[in-house]
Amino acid sequence: MSKGEVRYGMVIDLRRCVGCHACSVACKSENDVPLGVFRSWVKQVEKGSYPNVRKHFLPSLCNHCEKPICVRNCPTTASYRREDGVVLIDYDKCIGCGYCIASCPYQVRFINPLRGTAEKCTFCQHRIDNGVVPSCVNTCNGRARVFGDLNDPNSEIAKLIATQPVQVLKADSGTEPRVYYINPDAGAMKGGYGPDSKVHLERGRNWSLSTTEKGRE
Amino acid sequence: MFNLTRREFLQLGAASTAALAAGSGLSALAQADELARGGKDFGRKSHKERQGIPSVCLQCVSGCGIIGYVEDGRLVKIEGNPEHPNSRGTICARGQAGVNQVYDPDRILYPMRRVGARGEGKWKRISWEEALNEVAGKMRELRESGKPHEFVFRYGRNRVTDYTDRFFDAYGTPHRLNHTTICEGSKQVALQMTWGKGRELADAAHTKYVLNFGCNPYEAHTQHSSLVQRIVEGRVENGAKLVTFDVRMSNTAGRSDEWFPVKPGTDAAVALAMCNVIMEEQLYDEKFINTWTNVTVEQLKQHLAQFTPEWAEKISGVPAKDIARIAKEFAGNRPRATTLSYRGVCAHYNGTISERCISLLNIIIGSIDQKGGYGVPKGPKFADVKPKPEKVKLHSELAKPKEYPLATHTVSQLGLPLIKEGREKVSIYMTYVNNDAYSYPDNNLMTEILKDEKLIPYFVAVDAYMGEATALADIILPDAIYLERTHLDKDDPYGMVPYIALRQKIVAPLGEAKSFHEYILPELAKRIGGGMEQYYAYGTVEDFMTVQLGKTPELLSEGGLDYLKKHGVWYDKTKKPAYKAHTKEVKPEDLVGTTADENGVITKLDDHGKPVYVGIMIEGKALKGFSPDKHFDTGGKIAVYSKVLEEKGFPALPTYVPIPEHQNLKADELIMTTFKVNVHTQSRTANCKWLSEIYHENSLWMHPEAAAKRGLKDGDLVVVTSKVGSQKIKLRVTEGIYPGVVSFADSVGHSAYGRIASGKQVTDAEDVEDELVWWKDRGAHLNSIIPVTVDPVGGNQGWMDTVVTVKKA
Repeated sequence: MSKGEVRYGMVIDLRRCVGCHACSVACKSENDVPLGVFRSWVKQVEKGSYPNVRKHFLPSLCNHCEKPICVRNCPTTASYRREDGVVLIDYDKCIGCGYCIASCPYQVRFINPLRGTAEKCTFCQHRIDNGVVPSCVNTCNGRARVFGDLNDPNSEIAKLIATQPVQVLKADSGTEPRVYYINPDAGAMKGGYGPDSKVHLERGRNWSLSTTEKGRE
Repeated sequence: MFNLTRREFLQLGAASTAALAAGSGLSALAQADELARGGKDFGRKSHKERQGIPSVCLQCVSGCGIIGYVEDGRLVKIEGNPEHPNSRGTICARGQAGVNQVYDPDRILYPMRRVGARGEGKWKRISWEEALNEVAGKMRELRESGKPHEFVFRYGRNRVTDYTDRFFDAYGTPHRLNHTTICEGSKQVALQMTWGKGRELADAAHTKYVLNFGCNPYEAHTQHSSLVQRIVEGRVENGAKLVTFDVRMSNTAGRSDEWFPVKPGTDAAVALAMCNVIMEEQLYDEKFINTWTNVTVEQLKQHLAQFTPEWAEKISGVPAKDIARIAKEFAGNRPRATTLSYRGVCAHYNGTISERCISLLNIIIGSIDQKGGYGVPKGPKFADVKPKPEKVKLHSELAKPKEYPLATHTVSQLGLPLIKEGREKVSIYMTYVNNDAYSYPDNNLMTEILKDEKLIPYFVAVDAYMGEATALADIILPDAIYLERTHLDKDDPYGMVPYIALRQKIVAPLGEAKSFHEYILPELAKRIGGGMEQYYAYGTVEDFMTVQLGKTPELLSEGGLDYLKKHGVWYDKTKKPAYKAHTKEVKPEDLVGTTADENGVITKLDDHGKPVYVGIMIEGKALKGFSPDKHFDTGGKIAVYSKVLEEKGFPALPTYVPIPEHQNLKADELIMTTFKVNVHTQSRTANCKWLSEIYHENSLWMHPEAAAKRGLKDGDLVVVTSKVGSQKIKLRVTEGIYPGVVSFADSVGHSAYGRIASGKQVTDAEDVEDELVWWKDRGAHLNSIIPVTVDPVGGNQGWMDTVVTVKKA
């Protein structure tokens, strides 16, 4: 990465996350995400036996990977990666085949039931391009989410990554996520990340077959 | 500020960090080319900047600052207002989902008159003219016949009491039934009789230690976002420790440094034992106790000696060694240590007395009103708008039943049962943002009373949604919701500097909805006449607010109402946090014409010849002290010893009062408690699709041992039975609960409130997402098996006291 080149990323500091779902709902509202599917979600894990029980939260969203398998596997080049690292979908090119959904290791993609195309977090492209942080970062009650330029050493996100141990999800998948976690629970990082995992995603796909015409934008 | 360029915004951020300070998120603003944290929003497709209007949230009572973004006349997004000193730019899931409240397809948009039997669900749309004339006609008739006191006003989340008090004082009825004791009434009473103010303000951002009894700020609180963000700040930035005592592993408990499951209603025993340890170990603040309380160190030591950690362990289940350890840690961090407590303590039969035991922890370590300690809230004062009607002097047996003289926040849950008993005759029952057929205990009984036309001959509901109670009304006046109306708002300031906020109209009321205080009340007053109209000569609500702001010249000099319209909130940025306000000297000019009594209490006579508290003499100086509440004479100091409790036959010093029903439980009996979840607010949010999508089905939490004993497993449908009824609910077997307790979340299990909440449509309106509602299970509502109970001191409903048995359905 050369100097001057913007590379967007996010840190989620789980010491600060209160599991409140403000991010989940802010995203619904900001991005008109239909019922049944989520671009942003908080997974909850309960661990231990009485009375030594703990709760862990793991907010998840598109990791805007440096090496996104979804982009590689898209047959129509609808999925692409911008120069600043933001992974996006060109809805005009997307044919709703679902290859990207199957190839994403993080279950963050789904078929929009109203549009029939693949969809996911865009880092609130329309906001960051206008100089404002994504909606989930804006509303975060515990200020757990920090968004910014990974390449700017003075940015808060770069400083956090430089001073705090961070982890990414499924590091062994080779995707090089740009969403980093501080102090995540190892158990919460395993398994699915979506709302009740598969159920909603599959529903979303089924609905798209019956409601595509009615809801197409 | 919404038209600033990004660069200007950054400069603003750097210049006024007090307004924008939001933890670590802003510290790098000056150096790096960071994106703005907020204050702007853009269309997802158009990329055009949206119009932003600052206001105040009301999805719960926290009063977070919001900005409503409007595109083509439609509210499309709600965000936090970065200028708000309490919420500092953040809002929770509920606040984000306020958009759903406006566009709920089942919203009531026109005045409606019942045409079938009461509760049958048959309605006829009528005009406002017809509706107002009907209601005003009946009210006028009642008032002219000398019986305005047969009118009962019942309200839930009412943030316009300045206007409703004016109206009902002018009308002449004393029956104003609020909802405080189905929430936290006993907590407020306990604090008022101890140090004057009914509220607390834990200075969590600066604390080193939070000792939490039955409070769940990670999910819900009267100042949810504002408090939880400071708890996080205190923990991550100051290394503060959070210790939680709760019957259940709430999200707060699950994220605390330590969680201690505790038997319901025994928190006071734990707190008293801790107080005992602190006294025994000489970890108390002797000067504070001897100067600022009405007891001495010796008296306290003597009283507390009986409450040993071993004694508390037997009662509460919390190990004695942990009680002693935590007590020492807490006191070791004084004065930067504070308690938190809420419904886990106060929503019990012993709520008021128990809350006083928790307060004592802060008192003996002298953390009261210290930085990082247990704060005394400071609020702004609004000027009266004249002419103002005199307060109605008649007594209300519905609001203040004679059996509960200390319950100064009314006994909400007794209102309807006392109507049934015939304590007061009712001709008209008017409700505002109320759902007593859902939110109250024994809600089947409440429904039965509301349905009885002999007890309640005429029922007017001012409401935006067809809740379980509103569905029983005779006439419905469609209310403009909080995003469609304008009035001043205030809350306890975490910055320890009072602030004034403006809840202002972001979009015009939908359909024919009208604002209660801006339109309905003045219109009714004019039509009722008989002198009522004179109290509405103030003009518009803007004129009303302009007068109210008259006591705040600092705001007026910055533009008054115009400033509030632009920024949504104001506070004096030159003021420093007012810690230790009780130690401030009374201004010499305020001492003119005062007298001091033998206890050093300084008073001045008001216009009616009544002595008004000014301050207290301490070591030869006139200090502000702790201003007493109007109901309790605490004499400028902290009344650890409560004369008023003694007079009424209750323990005068903080003590543990066992809950009668919980003694001698049978082998198969369990104690049932209730709780709130992070995406809902009581009865009011299950209609929000974005919230109900996340949480729509609740379950009964039960410990694995208790489940095994009953042959039950996770997911079973069970029948829960109490002395007032039985109800089915799904079981959740979890390690996160005290073995003798079962617990369920409120907010769901509606039988009405529209298609999202209950699956039952109210209107024919279509929503683009109707077909996408994927959930069928909407949970169960167990209030019907919770008997009406009353804390004999503060009047709180004993939500956490119900004794039940659980069997497989």
